[in-house]
Amino acid sequence: MNSGREVIDGRLTVEGFSVAARAFADKWKTHNQSLPPWSWVPLINRTLLLSNQQEEGYLSLENILILSSLEESTEDESLNVATECSEKEEPVDHTILVQNQENEAHYYDFHIVYSASYKVPVLYFRGYCSGGQPLSLDVIKKDLPSCSVSLLLQSKWTFITQEEHPYLNRPWFKLHPCGTEDWIKLLSQSSISAGCQMPVELYLVSWFSVVGQVVGLRIPLEMLN
Amino acid sequence: MSEKETSPAILQFAPLNSSVDEGFWHSFSSLKLDKLGIDDSPISITGFYGPCSHPQVSNHLTLLSESLPLDEQSSIASTSHGNRNKCPVPGILYNTNTLESFHKLDKQSLLKAEANKIWDDIQSGKALEDPAVLSRFLVISFADLKKWSFRYWFAFPALVLDPPASLVDLKPASAYFSSEEAESVSAACNEWRHSDLTTDVPFFLVSVSSDSKTSIRHLKDWEACQGDHHKLLFGFYDPCHLPNNPGWPLRNYLALIRSRWNLETVWFFCYRESRGFADLNLSLVGQASVTLASGESAPTVPNSVGWELNKGKRVPRSISLANSMDPTRLAVSAVDLNLKLMRWRALPSLDLNVLSSVKCLLLGAGTLGCQVARTLMGWGIRNITFVDYGKVAMSNPVRQSLYTFEDCVGRGEFKAVAAVKSLKQIFPAMESSGVVMAIPMPGHPISSQEEDSILADCKRLSDLIESHDAVFLLTDTRESRWLPSLLCANANKIAINAALGFDSYMVMRHGAGPTSLSDDMQNLDMNKTNKQRLGCYFCNDVVAPQDSMTDRTLDQQCTVTRPGLAPIAGALAVELLVGVLQHPLGINAKGDNSSLSNGGNNDDSPLGILPHQIRGSVSQFSQITLLGQASNSCTACSETVISEYRERGNSFILEAINHPTYLEDLTGLTELKKAANSFNLDWEDDDTDDEDVAVDM
Repeated sequence: MNSGREVIDGRLTVEGFSVAARAFADKWKTHNQSLPPWSWVPLINRTLLLSNQQEEGYLSLENILILSSLEESTEDESLNVATECSEKEEPVDHTILVQNQENEAHYYDFHIVYSASYKVPVLYFRGYCSGGQPLSLDVIKKDLPSCSVSLLLQSKWTFITQEEHPYLNRPWFKLHPCGTEDWIKLLSQSSISAGCQMPVELYLVSWFSVVGQVVGLRIPLEMLN
Repeated sequence: MSEKETSPAILQFAPLNSSVDEGFWHSFSSLKLDKLGIDDSPISITGFYGPCSHPQVSNHLTLLSESLPLDEQSSIASTSHGNRNKCPVPGILYNTNTLESFHKLDKQSLLKAEANKIWDDIQSGKALEDPAVLSRFLVISFADLKKWSFRYWFAFPALVLDPPASLVDLKPASAYFSSEEAESVSAACNEWRHSDLTTDVPFFLVSVSSDSKTSIRHLKDWEACQGDHHKLLFGFYDPCHLPNNPGWPLRNYLALIRSRWNLETVWFFCYRESRGFADLNLSLVGQASVTLASGESAPTVPNSVGWELNKGKRVPRSISLANSMDPTRLAVSAVDLNLKLMRWRALPSLDLNVLSSVKCLLLGAGTLGCQVARTLMGWGIRNITFVDYGKVAMSNPVRQSLYTFEDCVGRGEFKAVAAVKSLKQIFPAMESSGVVMAIPMPGHPISSQEEDSILADCKRLSDLIESHDAVFLLTDTRESRWLPSLLCANANKIAINAALGFDSYMVMRHGAGPTSLSDDMQNLDMNKTNKQRLGCYFCNDVVAPQDSMTDRTLDQQCTVTRPGLAPIAGALAVELLVGVLQHPLGINAKGDNSSLSNGGNNDDSPLGILPHQIRGSVSQFSQITLLGQASNSCTACSETVISEYRERGNSFILEAINHPTYLEDLTGLTELKKAANSFNLDWEDDDTDDEDVAVDM
């Protein structure tokens, strides 16, 4: 695989993305035991086959749990649920444990998807609480570590937008990719191992070292070797 | 947790909780809209759960988009068996078509029906072949597909043991097994979890031999396991995380064990994980004691419980997904995103709020009106009112971009009405209205019968101008712009004027009204000479507006313009308005000239210079900016005229309409003309401001 052809000027080809994604997932599994591994979700029924028959797909990391101490937003409560008083009540069963209110748990899904128009990877994410209700961006920002929030405010390269997920047809949040090419080029220039050209296997690792910080996912330094 | 020998505690189970992924509702909505319609027969669905994976949070029974019967159009490979965290469990969904029928569902009998299925599976042995059926569940729901809100209620049917099972002992698995055994059990569990064939089988047997070797077997191998074990436990994936209670799946498991194998003492193993591997500290081993049923040949179905509580209450759950499913809301957020991207990437000081709140009044819904409206929408302006008394004619749609052929068919739709409809079709969140009204014009005398209705129209126009923030003068004659110009000057409203010649255009913004000087400018440090306002459309006129339409030949009445002009002029008009809105001084901003400015980067406006007038031509492909001060003799905006209007109101208007020379006398233009005629000056023939007129065939 000629890695020179797959990373050009900070951008990735779609074949390069497949290679980089697998390299990234492998390194993650080895070095990042504290979080579950990324899985590759292949896309089927694509009419356009790639030149070297590699399947298209995206990386997925789901059900990341963040315990939130905040009061849950009452978005769903606005649906005025009248208290039911069924005539034939269930008999009281003493074998059912009466539960206290659990800690409010927030779950996050992350997808790394290739953008054919920008030719770079894009991080999509969404949050939801235990019942399945989606979290709004305000609530998600409260879950982010404070350094992430300040990074979002200050950096002109990272901002969150809400757009339709390219394959799931639902709105997800994403880190807008329009600055990616620029700062990948900056990273390439300071990359020691390959002169000025970043090897494709390291593309996603380097990319994620910046992007992951915005959403509070850290990668250990060993992954960058 | 065991008490005295005589009365051990009742075994208490932690309830299972549901979690419905947004994707499930999306898929279900499509299914209902595309296939089911009003069919409300029950639907077989699949739920998913896995063992607890976090010491502080229990796992749930989850519904995902793949929980519904297969959809051929999905482009993601469906994840079915072999997923370690998604053990499939059969369930049934009763979705009603109305809220009333949702409340009327007989929940007890539905629960009983599912519990019967579980009992039957236990009796027939199916539960041994496919133990996931022990966790069969039921959901009732009402999907409101107009409001995109979903009400639902889960039940996890559990067969009630009577008398209830008691708990003899419960401790962490690591405390129960020896360290050798623990290692062996962990390894065996990890292997079970690692293999695609067994990872989603949630009930199993754990057989530990006397030399600490563990094997994990399917339930149906129970007979084979007899004899060669030191410890035999009934293992199951436990979603619950609590240290002192087993999870819900144990209930039906105990019913199975009691019924099939007649055991009075049951050792159970609540299997829990962390980080993808068996965690024997989190996992529990317990000893339960059950009372066997008295010897009956045909055991009866036990009672069942299992409706899920919502925050401790016996009420259904609900979720509103309007934000992610309502197409209008999705359109709004997409359009807002577009504008925000512009601000983030190019113009950080852009004030988007002022744009979304400004109310624009468009006088004229012809070529210019349509182009202005479209460009306003592009800037995120949502509030547009049209005033036009004409109907859409057959020649209009090709040049007037809001209309289609359908609008002309038959008697033709009123332009003001068709324009509003068109805007809403383009972007449903537009707030738009249309007024079918003619604008009273000087030089077109009216009879006394018409007076009242004309005055009513004047009042209506005045009210419209008062209730909007910016007014676009886009009508097809010069004289129809007089009254709006006066009213805008009087109310100090932003007025943008656009007019077309055959191959030339003019776009300008009117200056502030004359009475604004005393109010707004007091705190600004300006000397007398700078108290000049910018001029309006009529400031350079030496005659009052007259009838420009009658007595002209047909080709002069329906003046035709090059089609490219209206889009250019309309777009410039909107860009000029946005410039005014973004400028800190607003309507009072002074006029810039492109020649005088320093490269367009004005500190005051992030968008660049803010000219007074723009004139251009396509015959030369040229464009210039001009600056003109207000004239004290202006028939529309001079202080003389405005105060006269304020004093005399309707009678002033009627006089101006009926006697064109009245305005000239009032403003002193008559005097000026007499003085001018004594010189030999060449007045420019000022007929470059007529524009496209639709010919009604």
